[in-house]
Amino acid sequence: MTIAPRAPRKLSMKDRYSALTRDLDWTPSYVTEDELYPYTKFEGITIHDWSKWEDPFRLTVDAYTKYQAEKDKRLYAVLDGFAQSQGHLSLTDASYLNAMKLFIQGVSPLEYQAHRHFAYLGRHLNGPGPRFASLCQSLDEIRHIQTEVHTLSNYNKYYDGFHSFPHMHDRVWYLSVPKSFFDDAVSSGPFEFLIAIGFSFEYLLTNLLFVPFMSGASFNGDLPTMTFGFSAQSDESRHMTLGLEAIKFLLEQDEKNVPIVQHWIDKWFWRGYRVTALIAQMLDYMLPRKVMSWKEAFNLYFEQQMLGGLFVDLAYYGITPPKFVEQAAEEKEILSHQVYWTLYQFSHAAAFSTSIPTDEHMEWLSANYAKFDELYRPLWEKEKRNVAAGGRHFARGLPELCTVCQIPMLFTEPGDPTTLCQRWSTFEDEHFNFCSDGCKNIFDHEPEKYVQAWLPVHQIFQGNCGGATIPDVLAWYKMTPNDGGEYLGSRDNKNWLAWHDMAEKTGGN
Amino acid sequence: MAVKAITEYKFPSRSRQELYGDAMLVHMWWTNNPWFCAAACFPMPKAMTWGDFWNAAVVPFFSEDPDWSDSTEFTFTLHGKSLDPKPEDTLEGLGIWHKSVIGMTSK
Repeated sequence: MTIAPRAPRKLSMKDRYSALTRDLDWTPSYVTEDELYPYTKFEGITIHDWSKWEDPFRLTVDAYTKYQAEKDKRLYAVLDGFAQSQGHLSLTDASYLNAMKLFIQGVSPLEYQAHRHFAYLGRHLNGPGPRFASLCQSLDEIRHIQTEVHTLSNYNKYYDGFHSFPHMHDRVWYLSVPKSFFDDAVSSGPFEFLIAIGFSFEYLLTNLLFVPFMSGASFNGDLPTMTFGFSAQSDESRHMTLGLEAIKFLLEQDEKNVPIVQHWIDKWFWRGYRVTALIAQMLDYMLPRKVMSWKEAFNLYFEQQMLGGLFVDLAYYGITPPKFVEQAAEEKEILSHQVYWTLYQFSHAAAFSTSIPTDEHMEWLSANYAKFDELYRPLWEKEKRNVAAGGRHFARGLPELCTVCQIPMLFTEPGDPTTLCQRWSTFEDEHFNFCSDGCKNIFDHEPEKYVQAWLPVHQIFQGNCGGATIPDVLAWYKMTPNDGGEYLGSRDNKNWLAWHDMAEKTGGN
Repeated sequence: MAVKAITEYKFPSRSRQELYGDAMLVHMWWTNNPWFCAAACFPMPKAMTWGDFWNAAVVPFFSEDPDWSDSTEFTFTLHGKSLDPKPEDTLEGLGIWHKSVIGMTSK
């Protein structure tokens, strides 16, 4: 009698994951480990046992690609339907798209930077677990920029300001804020990058960065962007888990890592927080239909969830909340107003437009911010009179920039919202200016790095940006006259009104 | 604390004064006027007089404020220290240095 052979037992997901990572790892024989992984010692981080990395992903390549393909199918079905049904006409207003212009110019290129650098970590971390986790995140990030571009490309057919975004990202003054942030991270060592992006950006600040854009899309009729947001959400959850795992792994490996990690948390909280200044104004000023105020978002997503939750847990390792976090908390009352007032007066050199808040909008700002009527309404009322008299507040020159965050020096003294904050340091007999204690602290730790800052205003004055006049510089940015400036009366505004007028006359047909 | 790097880490400043030839960057900050969101940055010859600087750079920029008046009087500071410029003083002679910040406060 012949007994039929047993069918091979199917491995569980956990076993297949283990086979993919641990079983495909090996100990080098003809080179040393230091030669194979040359970048994981110089930062001063000590790792005793890479196998202690608790895999946050536990995915295999086939499972990963299957999930992502399913999400992509759903997203692209929505994109097709939206495009074919002229879905852009169902937005709350064309001015909403200023938020999306800022997103594709400022945020999407960061996804690509993240893709490249996580691929680098996927090669250069010693442990197979973190290498595979980095590889998955690298794949996520390239998918994100691809889907973001495809999601927003439909608007490029009808609206100004969406074209040439990768070109602009490398050149334009307000985009140097997110660009310099990520350049700073990718030029760090691998562990600092993990804390900078994996932890501070993807865990500490991700809800402040991501949720407002996607909720804004949902509230303003932007079905494609909302669907993209859902598509990316499960990835973001994994990224958050990776960031948290990274910090716990470093802290548990050796006590000597704690002060190094603490400094990175201090630094990257402040660097990331300054980037969120653009989100703050977007939430409070650019969305025609409001989701929540910046003040509420900061309180919920940062003060309650992070300070009240995460940092309580991290105290076990000797980690304290980031330096100057109390200044950030105080700024939530004033930040968005200061930033939008700045963008308003420089939007003639931007690829988005701005406008005076309507009376209804100002009532909302007044109801949400105790200091709005005292500090910011008078500026808008004065500007209303200026516009009525034939003016429009566009700055006739260029602003002082912070050497670290590269934002115009618009922030005010802690405790005094009427006085601009000016800080400075001297390094090798040269003077450097900063917007805050947080940025000065970052510079003072690594002045050799920040002296290299490519500050847009300084580069314009050095003659490196196409010429000396605003039209010269805008041409170098590849901006067209319709991309920025005042929204009311802009081509986007006129088209929007004409299309809706036409739709009403034809009964929507 | 220095930058931790895999090799020597030393690069020149991208904003050093020599990149501007005979000029330097001068920041003017109207301290008690929130109409202007930040100090303005001007590239000015070191040998330029205060009077020329005022007329060529400061007035064109700040007169964008609809409440601007040529008769407004100002007091000045240089990084917090009192500054008493005369029209014929040169910027360099006044002790103004590259990337420094001059505060102007309207009376």
